[in-house]
Amino acid sequence: MSLRHIWAITRKEFQHIFRDRSTLFLVLVTPTALLLLMAYALTVDIQNVPIAILDYDRSSLSRAFVQQITAGEDLDLYAQVNTLSDIEELIMHGEIKAALILSPTFSKDLLALNGMPLQVIIDGTEPESGSFAVDHIAWRAEEFINGAVASQIQAMGMQVDSLQPIDLRIRTWFNPSLKPRNDLIPGLISMVLGFPALSVALTLAHEREHGTLEQLMATPIGRADLLIGKMIPYIVVGLVNVIMIPLIAMAWFHIPFNGSFPLFFGLSAIFLFSILSIGIIVGVFMPTQAAALALSFLVIFFPGFFLTGIFFPIAAMPEIMRLESLGLPGTHYAFITRGVFLPGNGLDVLWPYAVMMAGLGFAFTAVAALFFKKKLG
Amino acid sequence: MSKTIIQTQALSRNFKDNRAVNALDLDIQTGELFGLVGPDGAGKTTTLRLLAGLLYISEGSATVAGNDLATQSEAIKRQIGYMAQEFSLYAKLSVLENLTFFAELYNVEPKERKERTERLLAFAGLSEFKERRAVHLSGGMQKKLALACTLIHQPPLLLLDEPTTGVDPVSRREFWNILTELHLDGTTIFVSTPYMDEADRCSRVGLMYQGKLVECDTPKNIRTQLEGDLIEVLPEDRVAAHELALTLPGVTEVQTYGEALHLLVEDGKTQFEQIESSFQSENIKVKSIRLAPTRMEEAFISLIRRLEENP
Repeated sequence: MSLRHIWAITRKEFQHIFRDRSTLFLVLVTPTALLLLMAYALTVDIQNVPIAILDYDRSSLSRAFVQQITAGEDLDLYAQVNTLSDIEELIMHGEIKAALILSPTFSKDLLALNGMPLQVIIDGTEPESGSFAVDHIAWRAEEFINGAVASQIQAMGMQVDSLQPIDLRIRTWFNPSLKPRNDLIPGLISMVLGFPALSVALTLAHEREHGTLEQLMATPIGRADLLIGKMIPYIVVGLVNVIMIPLIAMAWFHIPFNGSFPLFFGLSAIFLFSILSIGIIVGVFMPTQAAALALSFLVIFFPGFFLTGIFFPIAAMPEIMRLESLGLPGTHYAFITRGVFLPGNGLDVLWPYAVMMAGLGFAFTAVAALFFKKKLG
Repeated sequence: MSKTIIQTQALSRNFKDNRAVNALDLDIQTGELFGLVGPDGAGKTTTLRLLAGLLYISEGSATVAGNDLATQSEAIKRQIGYMAQEFSLYAKLSVLENLTFFAELYNVEPKERKERTERLLAFAGLSEFKERRAVHLSGGMQKKLALACTLIHQPPLLLLDEPTTGVDPVSRREFWNILTELHLDGTTIFVSTPYMDEADRCSRVGLMYQGKLVECDTPKNIRTQLEGDLIEVLPEDRVAAHELALTLPGVTEVQTYGEALHLLVEDGKTQFEQIESSFQSENIKVKSIRLAPTRMEEAFISLIRRLEENP
């Protein structure tokens, strides 16, 4: 281990980053830009979903329900129809995204505590709007049961407690206070910080393609020194993103940052080390930049997207994938970012994740150094 | 007494389906300027990479600068300066930054570094370009910078792989003047080259052919291997003249050289007039005809031709 050699590589790499506009753009601008883009693309606020209502009951209770359903901005009553074929027609023409059918026994069943006989038809070609409609109908139904229905039942002299079963079932479907961005943006940080890792893989492959690696191999530099010296500059530029992203999250998206910033910064440095160590492995094994780019997507971005629990809950994965997700630094970092942003967790809660990330980083770097030979073949 | 700096015994390197270097036996003495020549694909680059510790050895053994090539390649790397065939410095770094970078990798102390860089820049004629980025240098200057980078740790042995390929003749000459100076200072230089005039400037030349060293001697001895003399003919109709020359008695070989023909003859002085009159009697007009000194070029082509005919 020679600090002089590491520093020589690090300084050379910094010079390269700052003199090459495309690299500079890739490491400094892309992560933040992508975060903004993904935050908007993935949390589109759906509003004014047009629906139709077919009310077979036509009681005062069912009319009150219809009114409640369409009281907000979320669902628009496009038409009150009389037959199922009307609904079919409207969905076929794309006029409505969902339809609500109240059975003839709607008010009778409700007041007899037999549940709410409600059918919702959604347009499967646009599942986003459809499931949005389902969620919001369920939410309104809950309000309706707890409000109008409860008071009517009380007026009939019955215990309101017995409404509990209906109430509970609906709650599992909707959480009115949930703002997806609050949860998503901290999770996305681990994704966009994959770009410095991609860059380090590319720079190693670039040196291989341009023969500079051959020249380096002919010098007495240590293998680990070369790899570490290459990682340091990308950790540093990654940390610039780590400072910028919470500022944008707070100022632009009004996401609360309840934890300690120095803690977040420190843990992010560990994450960058561990994700870059994967990038270094890619650079060690791939002969060209094109190959390094392709493999980076396979081992950095796709698993980061699908396996780290940002979008798909880890608990829902098959066991083998759950194990794989534990081997990804992003999984642990997603816990950390969410924990630091929202509940404001400290090191007392987050240390196991930090230890896991550091362990993975050292293990991956060791693998890279082991397989990186100062030979052309 | 000189002592051995490179010694290889049956050194071989196989790639998938070919034997790029085949049982190579080399014995290079300290202070030599050794030129490795041979057609493209003969195994020159593989040989240089093997000696620089950049390739695994398939068979055989070698000692470079007192260290075993198979087991001590890192120790070898501290004592050699290796220059790859393609430009392989950092294009975005300036001349000075490239030199400093390699100085640090070769553990040159900072106080020595400054003095050495200045001297090497002056030596390579790059002093006034030291702030210029490597990418903006001319081809010849890039080669000189690459050479300067390999010299920064004052290695006793230089391994240069076709250092002047793709460089203009003036820069080529300048580059070789630098090599000659280094040679006179006692540095051992092992250089591969496709240019025969460069081979002529070496103290010893090895000819590689299909992975083997088929000839290894001083340029003078290689030249005299070419028995007989050379007659240079500049005919008006090259094809007809070539056909005729092949039939003339005493002509052992005909090589084309641009518009000219080089006839290798057993004895130039006695045959010159006879050949000149043969051209006249066959009505083949000749712009000029002269007795020329034989050079490495003819010797090389003749040797390769013989190898191709009797492999």
